[in-house]
Amino acid sequence: MEEPVDTATAILASAAVLLRERTFDDISYRALADEVGISERTIYRQYPTRAHLLAALSNWIEQTCFPLPPFVTVSDFCAAVHQRFHAFDASPAYAYVGARASAISPTLDTEPAYLTRAIEAMLDVAAPTLNRRDRRRVAASLRYFSSAMFWARLRTGLDLDAAEICDAFDQAVSTVLARLPEATWARS
Amino acid sequence: MGAVVTGSTAVPVLSGTQRAILAAYTELIEELGSDDVSYRVIARRAGIAERTVFRNYPTRVDLLLATAAWIEATLFAREESHSIFDVPLAIRDAMQRYDARPELAHVVAETAMRGVNGAAPSPGRAQLERLLDAEVPSLDPAHRRAVIAALSHLDSVGTWVTFRREFGMDGRDIADAAAWAAEAVLDGIRDRVAP
Repeated sequence: MEEPVDTATAILASAAVLLRERTFDDISYRALADEVGISERTIYRQYPTRAHLLAALSNWIEQTCFPLPPFVTVSDFCAAVHQRFHAFDASPAYAYVGARASAISPTLDTEPAYLTRAIEAMLDVAAPTLNRRDRRRVAASLRYFSSAMFWARLRTGLDLDAAEICDAFDQAVSTVLARLPEATWARS
Repeated sequence: MGAVVTGSTAVPVLSGTQRAILAAYTELIEELGSDDVSYRVIARRAGIAERTVFRNYPTRVDLLLATAAWIEATLFAREESHSIFDVPLAIRDAMQRYDARPELAHVVAETAMRGVNGAAPSPGRAQLERLLDAEVPSLDPAHRRAVIAALSHLDSVGTWVTFRREFGMDGRDIADAAAWAAEAVLDGIRDRVAP
């Protein structure tokens, strides 16, 4: 890993290192301070609560470990999500942090994730005449099925591996899209 | 009216003291808008010694998991569905309940997403499987798995969190969108029920 440029990032990079051997709950601010070589108080200044730390850590992991391939079509979208689920399977500890961070009460006024915007843009192109209400219901469903939460739930709750999770995802996507009237699809 | 279900994992029988602790902590989470509440404050609210809280819940994770399970079993308890095709209605109902207690909804959502250290992420799975097998026994294993996966995902507080956070939906729209998606999942099997 390259040299972090600032303290806030250095803290996150060290937290990610510690995540390889223990869960987020077991990473104390003290241990983190020792790992970075700064005072505990400096960490509190950057991340006043553990929720702040969790949210920032999840964003950082998302950007550095799970970059989302860009997509325009539905099949590219599915391929991008498959790639993500396989990456999650390879780094489960990191993926759980993402799932968990997306479940907490937001600590800041967070923007919707890039994934959300990309799904909305995809639907604008794929189904340009779709009414607003249906478009939002479809976008929300696709977003939720492509989330780290879906991966985490299926892996822990149903004991599925990445390939099986991808299958379940594909079926969910096709059942949701099947609800749209044929006429709303863009002809290409 | 059906019995109240609390998911596949039965909630352990709680002592009066434990119930008082969990109820106090739940109140404080709602009042303070955060689960970061000290044991001292919880003990004071419950009217017991701080040591008693520690004796019952040695770590914060223990306390949080017990509280999330208690919230699900009491405040978010639901009527049992009698048919897999009733599940969208149950989901609609649950979303409205989550919307009325947002802080508690986040706590339950978060504990389910902790991996090995967390609560069961699909507590209603066994119930869904029972309903599906009773009515639509002819599904092949992969299709059955996909239906169960999609419904247990939609029938969870994570739906409420995601739809609200990523799309700014209000409670009514979340309930509508989640039930709509669940209906979509069931569309493919509506005509396949056993005679």
